[in-house]
Amino acid sequence: MTPETGWLPHASRHLGAAKGWTVIFSAELLVQTVLSGLMVGVLYALMALGITFIYSIVKTINWAMGEFYMIGSYIQFVAVHYLLGARWWWLAAIISAAGTFLVGLILEPILIKPMYARPMQRRDDYATVVTIALLLLLRSLAVALGGPNQYRPESDLPVVWIGPLPQEGARVAAFVCALLALAVFWIVIKKTWVGLALRAAAQNRVAVQTSGVDVYRLDAIAFAIGVALAGLAGALLAPLFMVFPTNGAVTTVKGFEIIVIGGLGSIPGALVGGLLLGLAESLGAAFISSPYQNVYGFLLVIVVLIVRPDGLFGERGREA
Amino acid sequence: MSTGRTLEVSGLRAGYVPGVDILSSVTLAAAENAVTLVIGPNGAGKSTLLRAIFGILEPSAGRVLFRGKDVTGANSSTLKAAGVSYVTQEINSFPLLTVEENLLMGAWVFRRDRHRLRRQLESVYAMFPILKEKRHDRAGSLSGGQGRMLSVARELMTQPSLLLIDEPTVGLAPNLVAEVYSLLSAAKTATGAAILLVEQNVEEALPLADYLYLLNLGQVKAEGPGRDFDNSRVRALVQECLLG
Repeated sequence: MTPETGWLPHASRHLGAAKGWTVIFSAELLVQTVLSGLMVGVLYALMALGITFIYSIVKTINWAMGEFYMIGSYIQFVAVHYLLGARWWWLAAIISAAGTFLVGLILEPILIKPMYARPMQRRDDYATVVTIALLLLLRSLAVALGGPNQYRPESDLPVVWIGPLPQEGARVAAFVCALLALAVFWIVIKKTWVGLALRAAAQNRVAVQTSGVDVYRLDAIAFAIGVALAGLAGALLAPLFMVFPTNGAVTTVKGFEIIVIGGLGSIPGALVGGLLLGLAESLGAAFISSPYQNVYGFLLVIVVLIVRPDGLFGERGREA
Repeated sequence: MSTGRTLEVSGLRAGYVPGVDILSSVTLAAAENAVTLVIGPNGAGKSTLLRAIFGILEPSAGRVLFRGKDVTGANSSTLKAAGVSYVTQEINSFPLLTVEENLLMGAWVFRRDRHRLRRQLESVYAMFPILKEKRHDRAGSLSGGQGRMLSVARELMTQPSLLLIDEPTVGLAPNLVAEVYSLLSAAKTATGAAILLVEQNVEEALPLADYLYLLNLGQVKAEGPGRDFDNSRVRALVQECLLG
């Protein structure tokens, strides 16, 4: 099992081989690996942030999160390929995020609201069934509309050199946009009235209601923001990870891995967990074995579960 | 608009599960600048009454009039904007937000009116100087008494004409109970609001009551001006309810 090193012109120094593992080490390789881990980690963090954010307000796990990622990637493809062209990829990404936001805003009152608006005995079960049904519906819809094919929006972004290290242009662009999106998210949450209400609702739903906030509308907004984060991740990663009906499945799993690592309901947990997962995957792939890239995240999850079962930032015994 | 009666409830029926009514038919009123005390044994429907008035629970029959206007089944945000405040039994603040952010949440319904916001914040701070001192602290760091103070202050942000208060002294140390009641008296004089107070802690609350209702099994069992009731009479009535 040798790591893939063809794309790494500077990875050359052999430290030695033990038990059949070929270990290649160089400072450049390490830096490059860490960089690309952080870059993809921020995108994972967007997904996880969406899941955790929806959970902390609406108290529901949205199992269809990956399908909103998928919707975002399809909008990106259509916008870039048919309407705007590769040069306007960033505008397409904004449209994708806005589009998924709207889809969320429309779907939440239909699917999730009945959970609170009507007296219901098993809310969690209801939410689980409804969002899994939504997952299947959206995937089938994607197959019906676009077929089982893979698409890729054109990207004419040049390779970016960070010092001596090359990075795919689309990857760097995705990273920068994800950071921008996190900044916008932070400003909305910290500096606006709706952000104040959202933070308040995460702590005390009843008190938000008695403050005169329309909690149902707030739920819809929270859900829409959460899925828009996933949609944006889908749009930004579309040129790298392709556009197809089930492309959200893997990212959803990663999103939930991060939730376990960071702790459910914790925003810092989602961010740190995302970065850690990205790092674990890329370091593992570069220095242990790349075909097992998806395994390292799970190893990290297992370690966290043993050491801190509530996640790094999770609250012990948090009530729903 | 009837004189002085801020709240009129007639024949109110409500419950959480279809077919099971917690309130079977409740008729009562609350006058402005007065404390109307609602007492009754556990399960009498006291908290449900407040939830049904405030639109958290939709009544299946009956009418709720607020300042002469029919608000039956209106949602919480409409009622809040109209001048009804509801202080729940549970902790009513946001522990991770600052004191000032908590107060701003209380002003949600007029958040776009910057001048009123400033003015109300100043007047609440003048009433509770300790809250001004701690305005950048997290609400969760306040003491129990200060926490209750913040709950009431938050509701006063909208200058309500009706305050619905659900067991404000439950789980409090005796010295804090007195503090909470003096807080309520102060709120009454400051705002002239009608206060509909639901209490389990009858003996302490009785001196405060201008009018009293005894609720049992979702109906009004007895009522009258507060001065007509003393502790022994109330105790006898509650006993009667419990023994059937």
